[in-house]
Amino acid sequence: MVATVKEVKIPKKPIPVIGSLQTMYNIGRFMFKKPVTVQYPEDKGEIPERFRFRIFLSPEACIGCTLCEQVCPNHSIKMEVWKIDEEAKPKGDVVIETARGARENLQNKRHIYPDVNFGTCTVCRNCEEICPTDAIYLTHQFEDARTRNSFTYSPKELTMQEDEVIK
Amino acid sequence: MNLLIRIHDWFSFLGPGVSYGIAYLLETIFILIFVGISFMALIYVFRKYMARIQLRIGPNRVGKYGLLQVVADAFKLIGKESILPANRDDLAYRLAPLIIMMTTMVSFVIIPYGSLAYFGSLTITHSDVTLVLLFGVLSLLPIGEILAGISTKSNYALLGALRGVAKDVSFEVPMLISALAIIMISSRSFITGAQTYNSLSLAGIVENQVIPYGIIDPLGLLIFYISMVARASFTPFDLAESDSELITGYTTEYSGMRFGLFYIGLFGMVYLGSFFVSILYLGAYNGPASSDLGFIYLFIKTIILVLIAFLAWVSLPRIRVDKFVNLGWKYLLPISIINLVYAGLFVLYIR
Repeated sequence: MVATVKEVKIPKKPIPVIGSLQTMYNIGRFMFKKPVTVQYPEDKGEIPERFRFRIFLSPEACIGCTLCEQVCPNHSIKMEVWKIDEEAKPKGDVVIETARGARENLQNKRHIYPDVNFGTCTVCRNCEEICPTDAIYLTHQFEDARTRNSFTYSPKELTMQEDEVIK
Repeated sequence: MNLLIRIHDWFSFLGPGVSYGIAYLLETIFILIFVGISFMALIYVFRKYMARIQLRIGPNRVGKYGLLQVVADAFKLIGKESILPANRDDLAYRLAPLIIMMTTMVSFVIIPYGSLAYFGSLTITHSDVTLVLLFGVLSLLPIGEILAGISTKSNYALLGALRGVAKDVSFEVPMLISALAIIMISSRSFITGAQTYNSLSLAGIVENQVIPYGIIDPLGLLIFYISMVARASFTPFDLAESDSELITGYTTEYSGMRFGLFYIGLFGMVYLGSFFVSILYLGAYNGPASSDLGFIYLFIKTIILVLIAFLAWVSLPRIRVDKFVNLGWKYLLPISIINLVYAGLFVLYIR
């Protein structure tokens, strides 16, 4: 097989002013496009439909099986004892205030609930997938900026909305 | 009835000498306030324009739509500490920004502004040689640059000043020769062939422009405009302050409001240059319908030219030093001489 040598075309020497004018025209057209900047606090921008970040917990469904702790790749989840009815007693209330309404969870005899450190959470959703009772789930909320030493959400804070959590 | 006579009438009880003095002073202040406000508007427009082309939003926090951003920046500059280099030549160091700023400001007094509805003619300088005067005033700019460069004893500043002066000298020549072509064309009415009134004054040139000279002499328009943008050291020609090589050139050692004065000089020069081009080539305050709104026509033409210069700023990269000087001496100068010959032939043979 004989290799054929292709003749390389040398481009014509461009006329100097025309190129500059073309550049100016091409760049000037961007004037009429929409800016891509999102003015964050006022304008949240578009969040994709399947975007998930913040982890929530429904305590009445949690059975304390520790599967989420075992499956978490970063060990962000640790089980923590949270006695709902004991917390209620000193206040003298029958029902304590959680997002889902609280009572003693009879299926969770050891009173252990997940405790999530968002500093190391990679939002892999393994915990949501493995949870047998769908007690732990992720939502599209993402504004959980906190001070440096308090990225950990206690089980009680996981049941609250973001603006109720003391940061 | 022009602005000068109006103000003079208010103070006529003081006698002719004093009242004319006050009238000239007040009119100058009036124009300089206008110029100052339009500088601020220009910087705001430039920042918004640049932002929109780069798909950003631009200043929008200080005041409605960020309109007060420039005022805030000015206060910031005034409030800043002025850091003086230790080895400076003190007088020259303090004089340089003033020379740059005052040159630009004084040039705005020379321009014929045309008439504006109630106020009448806004022109301040009623001299017969305003074109020569304007070139004379503009030739003070290199002095400010070289003083700024030498007095600070900084290598970057010195190199920047050398480049700045090279820029001013090499682009002043084609500019002057193009202006000479305009003087020649303007010296005869090309409709009747008669001698016309005073083609050395800017106002006279505007009066003689029945159709804009940019149509008769497009080559001159191009040369003059490029030279003017180059002398304003706008970005394709900003070698004097090239950030990446010379920090900011001859303004390296300046801080606070002294740097602000250089900044005013930069924007002032492109604004002044656009006024100059629209007077010489685009018919200045001659509009489609003759009316009292000549000033508005002049302003619109100027703003369009300024926006083209801004577009060049945001789109073209800086050219190399040798190519830059070559552009002045090897291309623009011969073309402007050809243009001068063309203008001579035009005056001789076309009526």
